[in-house]
This record gives sequence, C-alpha cells and structure tokens, in this order.
Amino acid sequence: MPDEARLAAADQPLVFRPKPERPPPTSSIGVLGWMRANLFSSVSNALLTLLGAYIAIVFFTAIINWALVDAVWEASNRRECLDRVGRAGACWPGVIAWIPNLLYGLYPKDQVWRINIAFLILVAWALPLWLPRVRSKVGIGLSAVLLYPFLASYFFHGGAKDLLWTALIALGMAAFAGVWLTTLSERATGLPFGAAIARLTGAPEDDEAATRTRARIAYAVLYLVAVGVTTQWSLSEVSTRYWGGLFLTLVISGFGITFSLPAGVMLALGRRSQMPFISLCSTAFIELFRSVPLITILFMFNTMLPLFLPVGVEVNRLVRAIVAVCLFAAAYMAEIVRGGLQAIPRGQYEAASAVGLGFWQSTALVIMPQALKIMIPTIVGNFIGLFKDTTLVSIIGLFDLLSMARAVGEDTTWLGLFLEPFFFITMIYFVFCFLMSQYSLNLERRLGAGQRR
Amino acid sequence: MSGATATLVPASTRTATPAVELIGVNKWFGHFHVLKDIDLRVAEGEKVVVCGPSGSGKSTMIRCVNQLEHQQEGRVVIHGRAFGESAQKDEEIRRDIGMVFQQFNLFPHMTVLENCTFALTWVKHLPKAEAEAIAMSLLERVHIPEQAKKYPLQLSGGQQQRVAIARALCMRPRIMLFDEPTSALDPEMINEVLEVMVELAESGMTMMVVTHEMGFARKVADRVIFMDQGEIVEDAPPDVFFANPRYDRTRLFLSQIL
Repeated sequence: MPDEARLAAADQPLVFRPKPERPPPTSSIGVLGWMRANLFSSVSNALLTLLGAYIAIVFFTAIINWALVDAVWEASNRRECLDRVGRAGACWPGVIAWIPNLLYGLYPKDQVWRINIAFLILVAWALPLWLPRVRSKVGIGLSAVLLYPFLASYFFHGGAKDLLWTALIALGMAAFAGVWLTTLSERATGLPFGAAIARLTGAPEDDEAATRTRARIAYAVLYLVAVGVTTQWSLSEVSTRYWGGLFLTLVISGFGITFSLPAGVMLALGRRSQMPFISLCSTAFIELFRSVPLITILFMFNTMLPLFLPVGVEVNRLVRAIVAVCLFAAAYMAEIVRGGLQAIPRGQYEAASAVGLGFWQSTALVIMPQALKIMIPTIVGNFIGLFKDTTLVSIIGLFDLLSMARAVGEDTTWLGLFLEPFFFITMIYFVFCFLMSQYSLNLERRLGAGQRR
Repeated sequence: MSGATATLVPASTRTATPAVELIGVNKWFGHFHVLKDIDLRVAEGEKVVVCGPSGSGKSTMIRCVNQLEHQQEGRVVIHGRAFGESAQKDEEIRRDIGMVFQQFNLFPHMTVLENCTFALTWVKHLPKAEAEAIAMSLLERVHIPEQAKKYPLQLSGGQQQRVAIARALCMRPRIMLFDEPTSALDPEMINEVLEVMVELAESGMTMMVVTHEMGFARKVADRVIFMDQGEIVEDAPPDVFFANPRYDRTRLFLSQIL
C-alpha cells in the first residue's frame, strides 16, 4: 500500500479524508459507567467505597436520631427533657425560647423591628445588582458600601442626632431612594434617574451640560427631602451594650468584610510602591498586624487605646472592636491582593501604559479586575475566616452569637443546656459560610465565562 | 488604502524632524551594560528592521523608544520632543507611539472590541459610539471584524496579534513599534500577521520592527540594523545588508538564520 500511495503521489496527490467520529463505548458513560469508573474500579476501591458508605450512614443516623427522632420539642425546663429522654435526644425548647436572644442579643423586644427593617433595606439596596437592564451597578454597589452604614446605624442605635449626623443619615436615605429611582427609571427608559428627570423636564437632548445640571438639581431636591424626613424622624436610643447575638456578629463581620477589601487593595499597592516611604509604612503596618493574634489586638484596642486618647474622648467598646477587626482583616487582605497582583504578567502593565494609560487607570481598569478575579477563592476564604473570627470579641465582653449560645446553659431554667445551642449556632454559621462559598463559586463561573484558555 | 493613510498620518505633520532620535543612550541592568552609546535616527515614514542574537539589546532599545525602559544616560527624542521633562508630557509623547508585543498582551478580561475602544474611552474620552466606530474600522483593516465580540483567549495567536495591532492603531499613533511580533506564533499564523504589517508599512507609517523575519525585512525595510552586545553593528539598506554586510559578525549571524 505505501508503495502505491507513493506512486500516486508522484502525479496526483491523494485526497485526505478524516475518519468519522464514533460514540464512546457504553460502559464508560451514564450512571453505571460513572460508578464503575469512580466507585468500583478495583476490589480495594470497592471495599473502600462500601466502608465509607457504612461510616457515613452510622454517623448521620446517629445525628438525625439525636436531633430529630428522639428529640423533645415541648418542655418548660431542662429537667422535663431529661426525665423524658435523658441524654439520648436533643432538648430543643431551651433553644427555641432563646432564639430571640440568639438572634438579637439583649436588644429590647419591642425595638427588634428596627433591625429587621434595616436588614430588609440592605437586601432591597443590593437587589438591583442582580436585576437585568440596570446599568449603574457600580454606583449602586458603592453607595451600598459607603452610605448604607449611616442609615443602618441610626436604625440600630437611634437616639439624639446632631447636625452632621442628621446630614449623614439623610445622605444614606437619599442614596437608597436614589438607587431605587435609578433602578426603576433605567428599567423603564434606559436612563439613570437624574438623566430621566432632566429629559422629563425638557432639557434639550444634545445639551449635556443642561442635562447634567438638571440631574444635579433632581438629586439635590431628593437630598433636601431626605433631610426634612430625617429631622422629623426619631428613634429611641438603644445602647450598644444591648446589641448581641447573630445581629452583632453580622455588624462586626459586615464592617470587617467591606472595609478589608478596599483597605487591603490600598495597602498592597502601597507595599509594591516605588516610593520608599509609602512602601515602608504599608509593609510595617501589614507585618505588625499579621504577626499579632487577633485576640491580642482586640485586647490592645479595648484596654490600651483609651490610654492614648485625650481625656474626655471616649470610644465605644463596639467601635473599638470593629476597628481592631477591620485593621487585622485589612492586613491579611493586603497580602492576598499582593499575591494576586504578582500573578498578573508585566506585559499587562506595559500594554496599558503603551496605549497611554497612567498608573491609576491601568491599575483600576486593567490589573485589579484580573487580579481580583483570580483571587476570588482566597478572598472569600478570608471573608469566611473573618466571619468566624468575630466570635473572639466575646473575650472583651461583647455578646456575639457564640456568647449568647453559651448563656443558654447558664440560664437557671435550662441549666447545663450547652450541646443544643451550639448545634444550633453551628447550623447558622454553616448556612452563612456555605452561602458565601457558593456565591464565590458562582461569581467565578460568571466572570470566567469566555476567558478560559 | 490612501484614505486610511491620510487618517493615520496627516500629511501636514510630516516634517524634516526625525520621528525617533536616540542620542548617546546607555543602559545597565544592574552591572550588565545592555545598551552602549546607541545613536539612532529614524525619519518620518521610515521602516527600520532591527535584528540580532538574543541578549543583544534590541528589545531593550525599542522599549526605550517609548520609555517602557528608562535609559540611565542619553536622550530619547520623539518628533523633536524629548522624554523626561514631566510625567504628564511623557504620557502625551507616548500617545504618538503604538506598540505591539511578542506575547500580544491583550487584556484577557475584555472583549476584542473593548480592548480596542478601551484607551479611546479612558484616555481620549471619546463617546462610546465613536470609539466603537474607530475600533471596528481598524479591526476591518486587520481583517477580523467578525471576532469583535469574542474574548482574546478564544482567538488563535495570529488573530490575537492582529487585534493587538488594531488596538495600537486605535490611538492614531504616528510611530509603531513591533517587538518580535511573530516569535510567539505557530508557523501557520506568521504570514497573516506579516501581511497586516506590510499593509501598514505601505500606508506610510513610521515603523521600528524587531524581528528575525528576513523576508519581511527585504520586502519593506528601508534600513536593517544588526545589534550585538548592546551596540549597533551594522546599519544599512536591505540589499546592502543581505548581499554585502561589512562586519564578519553580521555575516556569521546571517549564515545562521538564513
């Protein structure tokens, strides 16, 4: 045959015809194929599979029996539970009776609606980020991070407000209204709120300056209305001493998470800066906070910070804890971001500067988006760690979720009831952390679309 | 092609001032002397091919032209304006110079079209529609308008490099630098990139090209420069360069790559 082919090639080339594709053998596809390949590929693997399945079944049936099947659901104290099932089943009534405290700490019962409303506002604030046809997503996200805290802190804390505080709360309120007005007008007309108002009031289409002026006036009116509402609005004061439970955990970790990322980015850029002073300061900060345990930092901020402050200035204990957590988280985040920055090839900086971009533009638009994308798993891992680390604030006398769970067993009615509340808050922590990690996977998939090699 | 030429290099800007001047440029990496007393003038509209063994400083030299590398001694002057006066002026001078890299260096998180409109939007502040019109016209010039919505990593190497050329041309540069534009490409794709470069050369663009594609050099170069150990050894029109180089070092190099 080869001879014949060679002869043929002498005067006329052979035509190359690729072989048709065949389906894969049936034994390698489908559920059975998958099981054969992954669970029972050899005798020892089959044994391991069976052993693993056995352990899993024993473990989970034990937990389910304790938590659900043999559990007591109605009782008035722990004695009753023990008399009925002993220690074989969980005693849930104690946890159920304590749920308000686990969620809100010692926050007055008749004021708890404020926390719920503030939480719903946050959800509503972030909702437009997932709606299609909304274009100002960056602005909405930024406003949520920067301005929501003002609004929320008045909901949470309430009390008297001076002029500055009123202005800030009104800013939060106006921003929230602005976010939704923009969302609605973008979905209806494709224009952001300001531009849509300008169009409605008859600004000439091609005159950008006029449109901008009218948009600004619209926002200014919105803000003045918000100021008016704020001055008329008053909530009773709830001192941070009464804050606690899941609510407190979310406040601390929320601040830590939203602060640590931008601060980490700035510190990482600072550490890589070619200006020695900035680089030195950033490096010193990062290394100092990374080399000290969080507990120590919390103690330092709680006990030593007041010594350095001028007499008469008193910083709230919760604020001290939040600042400590934020700084600690920022130092860790800085090193994560620096790692991401190092993974971006030098060519990207060069290409950006060759098309005429300056340092800040190329960092913000070319380098950071790519670096943050590859860092998503690590960043979210860090967020999850931070969320759980907030349990440490209990040692400086703040009643977070973990301390509230411990308090259940110290209640005289439920004396000694420790396992059940811990099981319960384990579930809460799991749900939050699992949602975070699922969201990060989802984010990775969406951002990675079309960009994989 | 003449219409496109006019938009790329307005006739009024053609002057007797050289497009690129390197005057007594010296550069060290640590103790290593990469560029030794480089003196070079490239006239407006001239095409210069730079070749030489690896480590000879040819990439470093071309990167000094738009100041991706900074020389320790000497001056770099573009259209009569010297670099180094102020950061802002350097940025302005640099906008006249487009660059194409060996590794393409497209922005992987943006589509092909966004890669091209990006600088127009953020540096020249053009409205989106106008930027996209310019980008599409240049993607057509490099023969890949149909790939505009794809991401760079979905394209072949040759296509990516052509996008990189389009991206550089979007800023309407008067000088184009090419740093080994075909070295990272599969052999099948080298020609499609070279063709685009030949067309660009025919349109009158000032070009400095570091390459070992001697066919390209013969076809479009006005001068071929041979560098070794940080010095310009040979600087001659292509017919002289290939037929009758003055130095033995050049002859040895040519015998190895041809």
